[in-house]
Amino acid sequence: MKYHLITLGCYMNISDSERVRTIIESQTGYEWTDNEAEANLVGILACSVRQKAINKVYSRITKWNKWKHKKSLVTFISGCILPNDMEKFLKLFDIVFRMSELEKLPEMLRHYGVVTPASLFSDLDSMPKNQSIDTFWKITPHYSSNFEAFVPIQNGCDKFCTFCAVPYTRGREVSRPSDEIVEEVKSLVGQGYKTITLLGQNVNSYGLDKKGEEIGFPDLLRRIGEMGNSIEKEFWVYFTSPHPRDMTDEVIEVISQYPCLAKQIHLPLQSGDDKVLITMNRKHSLEKYREIVHAVRRIIPEATLFTDIIVGFAGETDEQFENSRKAITEFNYNMAYIAQYSPRPGAAASRWDDDIPAEVKKARYHLITEDLRKESLACNQKMVGKTCRLLVVGHDRKEGYLSGLTEGKLIVRFASENEDLFGGFVDVKITSASDFSMEGELETYQVFKTCEVLGIKETLQV
Amino acid sequence: MQENTIKPVKNQVKVQQIRHLSESVYVLRFDRNGLSFEAGQHVILGLASKNNGREYSVYSGEQDDFFEVLIKEVQEGDISRKLRKVQPGDLLEMDGPLGFFTLDPDQVLTKKFVFIATGTGIAPFSSFVKSVPGLDYKILHGVRFGHEAIERENYDAARFHLCTSGDGSGDFHGRVTDYLTTNPADKNSEYYLCGNVKMIHQAFDILKEKGISSDQMHAEVYF
Ligand SMILES: Cc1cc2nc3c(=O)[nH]c(=O)nc-3n(C[C@H](O)[C@H](O)[C@H](O)COP(=O)(O)OP(=O)(O)OC[C@H]3O[C@@H](n4cnc5c(N)ncnc54)[C@H](O)[C@@H]3O)c2cc1C
Repeated sequence: MKYHLITLGCYMNISDSERVRTIIESQTGYEWTDNEAEANLVGILACSVRQKAINKVYSRITKWNKWKHKKSLVTFISGCILPNDMEKFLKLFDIVFRMSELEKLPEMLRHYGVVTPASLFSDLDSMPKNQSIDTFWKITPHYSSNFEAFVPIQNGCDKFCTFCAVPYTRGREVSRPSDEIVEEVKSLVGQGYKTITLLGQNVNSYGLDKKGEEIGFPDLLRRIGEMGNSIEKEFWVYFTSPHPRDMTDEVIEVISQYPCLAKQIHLPLQSGDDKVLITMNRKHSLEKYREIVHAVRRIIPEATLFTDIIVGFAGETDEQFENSRKAITEFNYNMAYIAQYSPRPGAAASRWDDDIPAEVKKARYHLITEDLRKESLACNQKMVGKTCRLLVVGHDRKEGYLSGLTEGKLIVRFASENEDLFGGFVDVKITSASDFSMEGELETYQVFKTCEVLGIKETLQV
Repeated sequence: MQENTIKPVKNQVKVQQIRHLSESVYVLRFDRNGLSFEAGQHVILGLASKNNGREYSVYSGEQDDFFEVLIKEVQEGDISRKLRKVQPGDLLEMDGPLGFFTLDPDQVLTKKFVFIATGTGIAPFSSFVKSVPGLDYKILHGVRFGHEAIERENYDAARFHLCTSGDGSGDFHGRVTDYLTTNPADKNSEYYLCGNVKMIHQAFDILKEKGISSDQMHAEVYF
C-alpha cells in the first residue's frame, strides 16, 4: 500500500508535511511513492493564500474521485483551509482534518474499511481552535532535507491584517513550549543540520499568548544562542516571519550576540504608505518600521534585509504605490517577495472593492521589481572581493556550477561539480555580482555530510 | 485597561436584548459570561453554524455585566441585516475579543485623546469612555443628520461634538474632516480614527498637515 502527499504553499505547510509523513509511515503501514497514480492513499496540504492554490485542490480531487471508479483510493486533505472551502471539502474528500488532529489520522484511516463521507465523523469547527496542537508538535518530523530544517514555534495568528485569511485557516496564536523547541533545534544540530528556520505567522509575538508561563521571543533566541555556544558545530538559525509591531531592539541585540543566530532579517513591510498600512490593519506606521531598520543597521551592520510587499491592494493610488517604491530604495533591501493583491475570502478586505485593474497591478509589480533589482545589484556589488561562507544547496542552473547561500541568504554560484559538498559549508571569494545572485571562486571547504552523522567530523582544507 | 493577555475563544453567545436606536442602527446586548476584553477590541459575530461572521467593536464598557455591539444595518449587506432580526434568547456564534485598537495603558491617565468617528465607528470610543473614568477626551462624531446621533447622552456634553454634513442640527455643520480643517489640532493629543476608510485617510492627511505624527494616529477601518 502506497501513499502520496501534495504540499502546497509556504514553509509552514512544508514543515507540517514532515510530521504528516511521520504519522503515516510509522502508524499506518503505507509507504511513500513519488508516483501519485500508483498510490492508494492520496492527500493534499492546502494553501489558501492564493486562489490558484485553491483551484489546484479542486482539480486534483476531481481527478482523484474519477480514479475511484477504477481502484480503491482514500483521499484526505488538511492544511490552510478557509471555512467556506472546508464545507465543500467535507463532501469531496474522504478525510478532512485540522493539522492539530493529525494524531487521529491513523484512526480515521482505520474507519475506512467502508468509505464513509468525511463529514460523518468529523466535528470540524468553522474556526480552528488549536486545542490539540501541543500533541501535533510532539510528533518527530520526517525532515525532507538532511541539512535544512524548519521548526514550528507557533501556530495561528491574532493580527487580522485585512488582506490575510491566516487567522481564519489556522486560528489564534498558540506558542509551542520553549523546551520542546530548543530540544528539536539541538537534536537537529546534533544530526548535522546547517540551517534551521523557526517558523510562525508572527514569530516575534512568541510567548505573548502564555504570558507569565512561557518566555518571550528574545529569550527563546537567547536559549538557542546559548545552546549554539555550547556546541562545537557551525549552524545558522533563521526565523520567519516577524511582525514589525512586535519587533524590539532586544531581538536585534540578541541576534548580534550569538554566532549561530543568522544575520538576516526578514521584516515584512507590505506597503510603504501610511494610509495603506492603516487600511491593511498593520497597526504600525512607516516611521516605526524605519526605526526598526535603523536599529538593525546600527546593531548588526552586516545583516541582510528581506521584506514582503503587496502591490495593488484595495484603493492603492499611484502616489501610495510610489511610496512603496521609495521604501525599496530607502531600506536597501537585498530581497523582497512582491505579490499582486488578490482578495482572500474571509479576510475583511475581501468584502471591499478590489478596484485596481489587473494590468495596473502587473505594471506596478514590474516597476517595483526593477527597483528591487537595482538595490540587490548594489548590495551584491559591495561583496565583490570579499570571502563568504556558503552553505552549498545544490547544482546551479549554470552547467558545471554549484549554488550556495550566504548566512544572509544571498545566492552565490561557484565552479564545482563535487556533489559531496552538498549540505556543507564552503568559503568562496566573490568575483562578480549581478542582481539577485553572485559568482565566486572556491577557497576552502569542509565535508560534513554522512561522516558527521556518525559523529566523525572530517574537514578537508583545499 | 486590563493587563492580562486574554485568551480569545469562539463561543455561543445568548442575545439578551436588542435596542433600536434609529431605522438602521441597533445595539445587541449579550450575557457577559465572564468574557474579558480590552476597550477598543472587536469580536466576530455570526449566525450559529454558518461561516459568515463579521467584525463588530465592543460598544459596552469593561466593567459592565453584559456586553454590547453597535451595528448599522447596511442596505445591501448580508449579516448586518440578519443580525437585526435576532430575538432575545437567540444564540449567535462569536470569536474574540480581537484586535489592538486599544488605549496604551501608559498614556491613559497622562494624555489627551481625540476620538474621530463616522457612524457606528463611535462604538470603540463609547467603550473607552465607559471603561476609563476620568479619561481626557474629545469626540468628533460624523453623521449626516442630527437625529442619527448615537446615544450622545453617554458622553460629557462639553467633550462631544456632533458633526452633521446634511443639515445644521449638529454642533458643527459639516463633516468631521471639515471640523479638523477649520479647527486647530492639539499637538500633544493622541488621535483615534474609526469608521469609513475615506474619512480616515482624509483625516490622516489633514492631521499630518497640522503637524501630528503618524505615530500619534491610531485607526480602525470598518469598510
Ligand atoms: C475591525 C472591524 C470592526 C467593525 N466594527 C463594526 C461595528 O462596531 N459596527 C458596525 O456597524 N460595523 C462594524 N464593522 C463593519 C462590519 O464588520 C460589516 O462589514 C458590516 O456590518 C457589513 O456587513 P454585511 O454582511 O451586512 O455586509 P456585506 O454583505 O459584507 O457588505 C456589503 C457592503 O457594505 C459595506 N459596508 C460595511 N459596513 C458599512 C457601513 N457601516 N455603512 C455602509 N456600508 C458599509 C461593505 O464595504 C460592503 O461593500 C467593522 C469592521 C471591521 C473590519
